[in-house]
Amino acid sequence: MKRLGSTICAAVAMTAAIATGSAQAADVDGVTATEIRVGTFGPLTGPVYMYGKLSMNGVEVFFNKLNEQGGIHGRKLVLVREDDLCKPEGAIAAVKKLVHQHKVFGIIGGACSNPTLAARPEIEKAGVPFHVFAAVADGIVDPPATNIYTTQLTASIESRAQIQWALDRGAKKLAIVAQHDAWGRARYEPMLKDFKARGLQVVADEEVTVDQNDGTAQALRLKAAGADAIMLLGYPKAAAVLIRDSIKIGYKPLWVGQTAIQDLPALQGLIGINGALGDFVSITTVPGHPDNPQYAEWRKRLKDTFPNDELSVFNLMGVAAAEVFAKVLDAAGKDLTREKFLAAYNTIDNFKSSIYPGPITCKGKHQCNQSPAFVKLENNNNVVFAGTVTLK
Amino acid sequence: MLMFSYLMATGITTGAFYALVALGIVIVYKSTEVVNLAHGELFMVGGMLAYTCYVMFGIPYLPSLLLAVAGAFVVGIITERVAYRSVLKHGLASVLVATIGVSFILKGIARHIWGGKGDYLTFPPIVSPEPLQFGNIMIMSQQLVVLLAAIVVMVGLGIFFKRTRAGKWMQATASNPKAATLCGLRIDRIYMYTFGVGAAVAGAAGVLMSPLTLLYPDVGFVLFIKGMAAAVLGGLTSIPGAVLGGLLLGLAEQLAAGYLHSSIQDVVAFLIIMLALIFLPTGLLGPRGLRKI
Repeated sequence: MKRLGSTICAAVAMTAAIATGSAQAADVDGVTATEIRVGTFGPLTGPVYMYGKLSMNGVEVFFNKLNEQGGIHGRKLVLVREDDLCKPEGAIAAVKKLVHQHKVFGIIGGACSNPTLAARPEIEKAGVPFHVFAAVADGIVDPPATNIYTTQLTASIESRAQIQWALDRGAKKLAIVAQHDAWGRARYEPMLKDFKARGLQVVADEEVTVDQNDGTAQALRLKAAGADAIMLLGYPKAAAVLIRDSIKIGYKPLWVGQTAIQDLPALQGLIGINGALGDFVSITTVPGHPDNPQYAEWRKRLKDTFPNDELSVFNLMGVAAAEVFAKVLDAAGKDLTREKFLAAYNTIDNFKSSIYPGPITCKGKHQCNQSPAFVKLENNNNVVFAGTVTLK
Repeated sequence: MLMFSYLMATGITTGAFYALVALGIVIVYKSTEVVNLAHGELFMVGGMLAYTCYVMFGIPYLPSLLLAVAGAFVVGIITERVAYRSVLKHGLASVLVATIGVSFILKGIARHIWGGKGDYLTFPPIVSPEPLQFGNIMIMSQQLVVLLAAIVVMVGLGIFFKRTRAGKWMQATASNPKAATLCGLRIDRIYMYTFGVGAAVAGAAGVLMSPLTLLYPDVGFVLFIKGMAAAVLGGLTSIPGAVLGGLLLGLAEQLAAGYLHSSIQDVVAFLIIMLALIFLPTGLLGPRGLRKI
């Protein structure tokens, strides 16, 4: 009789557990007893596909690693990709598709700033948790939205850090060279504001384009203005061309780059002149070159999953964001809901990520990464930590 | 004075870039009266093929260059088959749309094959990457190679069109396709080889210029626009005109960016296209009489 009672109790408990699991699966979009469906969006095609596709590849290899270890609270992570073509209308459509068609639990993505900014109202309306992995526009998390967090440095933090770095090194005449596209303006305008706030004058304000093939005219104008430090708000090609042509005319100022140019050996390769980056520093989200031994695991995992890829900074940005995303998922507990997940961001306090150079703190803030670190290149291919700045 | 010297020297060397691209556009237009809107992508294909041979497979430089040019020639022929011959019966507008299609297809293929290897690929220069001193100014040695190549290609094409039978066939076909057919010329083959030769020039330009322009799937578009501006300025059917147009465009860009502001550097090409179309519709060295196309 006693045994029968125990059996009945066990059966009731099991049924209750299954029922709870089913209710959970039915109640929370993208969550079943065995998996969590996570969406991502960014450019998979088009000229800047690498910001999206390669970062997503990084997220995927991190998820694969977690899944091999049993997932999070027994659930495997499944990544669903949508191409936004780096266009605002593409990002809005991608978010709608992820939320309403794929019914994802949350989104880790956002590669291009303006499209991500354009998709923000849709993301807020849907209430879907959104973790930014690459886009840098301040407006994505400022003013904060309850369901949006970023572990990427934002444009204004980087712009202020660039100026601070130059001033800390004694530079007196600061100049700006910027792309004036949406990406560039997101950095250029906060930078001008910071110049104004500090009472500093921009001695030269030059423009480059993404496809710049020659930078002689810009270099000559910078030299004529006597600029001793250049705040470089451009992509690697524009940077390479400008530095190359500055060397050509015998002009060697201090160059201060930002996270779009953080693969310094690649930049050195693009310029091709020995010692070209002797006076160059850049802000980084990844404090070492992807070829460094510390990333060997990710290099191997990436190659196994995407044989055509060589490990890049973009991949590592994806890995880094996915690591924090997974940490929050873990902290949210087994009975996963979006509310619990968002509340769990508050438990991320001084988290030592294996990729980001500084600690990650989401407690009380939605911009979780406030540590602009700088790297420089030694002997043409050795990336070394150059230092940090204290933002004033 | 030093600034002026630098801007002039850079204008000429950048102009050589545009001239090389313009030459390929002119070759195809001269024979077929079609502007191949995938021309920039043929440039990219040439560079990518050279990268594959030289960097990925370790084939020596010269064979890599020849293989890249041959590969671009084949892609040019495929372009003619797909985007010209098969749609010509629907009119030139269809051909233009088809060449745009080819351009997107080539970029998509390039992203698929070479897309995961970094945002920009580097192809080593044929000469030292260090700048060379000429008087009181420095010039990148690879830029001189491109300038020399533009002159060699221009002279070579001049000889080809004036002295060789194939060149004369191409000119005859361009001038009057019906008469050329009546004379027994197989104009379909001539069109095919014309596309091939245009692509081969683009491929050679891609190999020589990629150490300076860098390599990525979208590298061709801006260069195509600049090459087109140079070709329109020089006269769409004139080979010396393409070179002259390229050099003038390069100089205009540098002087405008140096003395006015760097923000107008890229606008100059579009201004030149518009002004040339309004005031010089046949270009500087194009045929004097207007032809309806």
